[in-house]
Amino acid sequence: VRLELASFAAEAIDLEAAAAELDLADPRLDSVDVDVVHPGDAVRITHVLDAVEPRVKPDDPESTFPGALGTLRPAGEGRTNRIAGAAVLACADFPAEKRPLHEQEALVDMAGPGAEHSLVSATTNVVLTFSPAEGVGNEDFDAAVREVKLRAARDLAASTIGAEAEEVETLEHELGGREADNLPAVALLLQLSSLGPLYEIYLYGTTLDGFQPAPLSPLEVLDGALTCGEYHWAGLRNPTYHFQTSALVRELLAADGERLRLAGLVACRGYNQTAEDKERAAMLAAKLARELGAHGALVTTDAGGNSHTDTMLTVRACERAGVATVAIVAEMGGLTDWVPEADAIVSVGNAEEYVPEWRPERVLGGDVLLDGRPAADAGPQPVRNYLGAACQMGDMPLRAVTW
Amino acid sequence: VNAVHYLNQFFAGLGGEDVAGHEPVRLDGPVGPGRGLGLEIGVTLVCGDDYFGEHEEEALARLLRWLEEERPDVLVCGPSFGSGRYGYACGMLAREAGRRGIPVVGGMHPESPGVAAAEGAAYIVPTGSNVVGMRDALPTMASLARRLAAGEELGPPEAEGYLPRGLRRNERTRETAAARAIDVLLAKLAGETRTEVAAVFDHVLPPPPVESVERARLALVTEAGCVPQGNPDGLPSIRAHGWLRYPLPAAGTFASGRYESVHGGFDVSAANADPNRLVPLDAVRELLDAGRIGSLHDAFYTTTGNGTPVAVSTKLGQEIAEELRENGVEAVILSGT
Repeated sequence: VRLELASFAAEAIDLEAAAAELDLADPRLDSVDVDVVHPGDAVRITHVLDAVEPRVKPDDPESTFPGALGTLRPAGEGRTNRIAGAAVLACADFPAEKRPLHEQEALVDMAGPGAEHSLVSATTNVVLTFSPAEGVGNEDFDAAVREVKLRAARDLAASTIGAEAEEVETLEHELGGREADNLPAVALLLQLSSLGPLYEIYLYGTTLDGFQPAPLSPLEVLDGALTCGEYHWAGLRNPTYHFQTSALVRELLAADGERLRLAGLVACRGYNQTAEDKERAAMLAAKLARELGAHGALVTTDAGGNSHTDTMLTVRACERAGVATVAIVAEMGGLTDWVPEADAIVSVGNAEEYVPEWRPERVLGGDVLLDGRPAADAGPQPVRNYLGAACQMGDMPLRAVTW
Repeated sequence: VNAVHYLNQFFAGLGGEDVAGHEPVRLDGPVGPGRGLGLEIGVTLVCGDDYFGEHEEEALARLLRWLEEERPDVLVCGPSFGSGRYGYACGMLAREAGRRGIPVVGGMHPESPGVAAAEGAAYIVPTGSNVVGMRDALPTMASLARRLAAGEELGPPEAEGYLPRGLRRNERTRETAAARAIDVLLAKLAGETRTEVAAVFDHVLPPPPVESVERARLALVTEAGCVPQGNPDGLPSIRAHGWLRYPLPAAGTFASGRYESVHGGFDVSAANADPNRLVPLDAVRELLDAGRIGSLHDAFYTTTGNGTPVAVSTKLGQEIAEELRENGVEAVILSGT
């Protein structure tokens, strides 16, 4: 299977003009404010739900985010145009009605000490701030936000259709990986949250409620099969942008046939709800890894708390099945869960550490943080409040060390 | 610099094992090794090793009272080298002083029980196992003490020469965590296992069984975030820093719609349909009626065990346990989620 990723530089596109022309209408929305910000601007963006790289399938724009926005067709094949160095940020506070679970603050600082904690502090961002129409509840509002956000990302990239790309990368992968010189076979066990409304990763537009581990192509991950509607701790979240640009998937594809054989990727649900569900999912993930012929597996986490138990049980099941593991986890002061089999852990940092305070000149997304403090003068913020700061797919150059 | 120094009976020159039962005393100025520190030591506190071991609470209380009177800029303990009892006393005093905001410097062999006792509240300079290490230890201890007293923040343990305190601080790396993970996995497959997180978990031993449950007073405690409907006292859904006590309904069980869970770590809809699944009052009432439980404490205790640091949960647990003990409770059902 082959994916052609054609990159168009954000600087070469008039994003202000393109953003002004976006059709953001939806009956579930009262308004959508549009702003464009650049790296280095003294801007703090609050209530960030997700970030998406502008993408379009030039031969079939309707299937750019298959299932989540338009028509279903397998992602990870054919050609996709991307605006490199740009992102759409969706911001919203949920209506005052009672929330099924409690969402947490999510920041992107375009400058200041927090800027190194988000990938999208370094991109030109089209910031969409959503307000719900009267009487629209959390879940309908969220559905509208997810749809309009993806539509904006697709339509922003539409101007690239027919234009000449700055760079075209060809990415290839087949189940089993590229055989060469008895390289060790490696599987990626990618955890995806499903904890109920507002805490869902979408696979081809559907949640993973009841999902059991199943193979997915690494190219699908990079090409819009996965979208984020998971609004837990911002730092531990896997935003759509992180799937589209996943460092882990990119590194594995680059290493396939060189340093290792990328046997396959297994999508696993995070937040299986009962102890037996957790054990079953862990067992099935390990079994799939072994059936893929993997000698080793990388185990990622999405969000945290009881999803870390899913991670650790998966590590245990793999090790017992003879598949060596490395788990990628965020620390929240310490580990949330641990099994003795987890003898090789990569830390993405201590999410509880505080980032020094910073006073932006301008705030987008909402002037008041969820804890009631003014966003422009909110004091030091924990790493966990920065979007993707401790993403457990390993996108950031951060770790915690013992002092 | 206003420093206080802690020593045992031997290093304070009071005598050897024969006076190990010496109760705490407070001496003016530097004594023994304190003279070699070159710090302005206003007071030296001394306690016999056996006395500390046998009357820990009392000894600590007296030493801490003196410390509070002195309000020093820094406390220096030892060095206690490899000594077990002396090291433990240094570690405990260091921990308590550190928790009260007094910077503490100790000097111990890395395997001294005092290192664990200090629980990261002190900067402990590693020393040899006996007094031969004195000459090496004192200058480092004095230099750290002087800088801490001046309010300076110390650098990383290896660079500064103290033992890691167990804190986890972030550092930027050259490579992403993704690239490191692949390296760690390939190394592990090649036979070299390494980790960036050496997990340290304490092991809580189950207490001995309750001797006679039929006569025992039982209490219900939960971390499931169970509160009266509407959460009148605002229990947080994550990272709770306190706990709440609510009276149990005088009869019957938890009615749906009267109690709910505000826990932010799981889907609470099934639990809210029957709050007895958060706190098993229905089952306990049946057991009471059947005479299989002596009596039921009239309140239940609740918090949210979600994203709570271990140190905070430990404190919450100790506070709840203390109140339960005062109320004659002998057994607890702790429902977790």
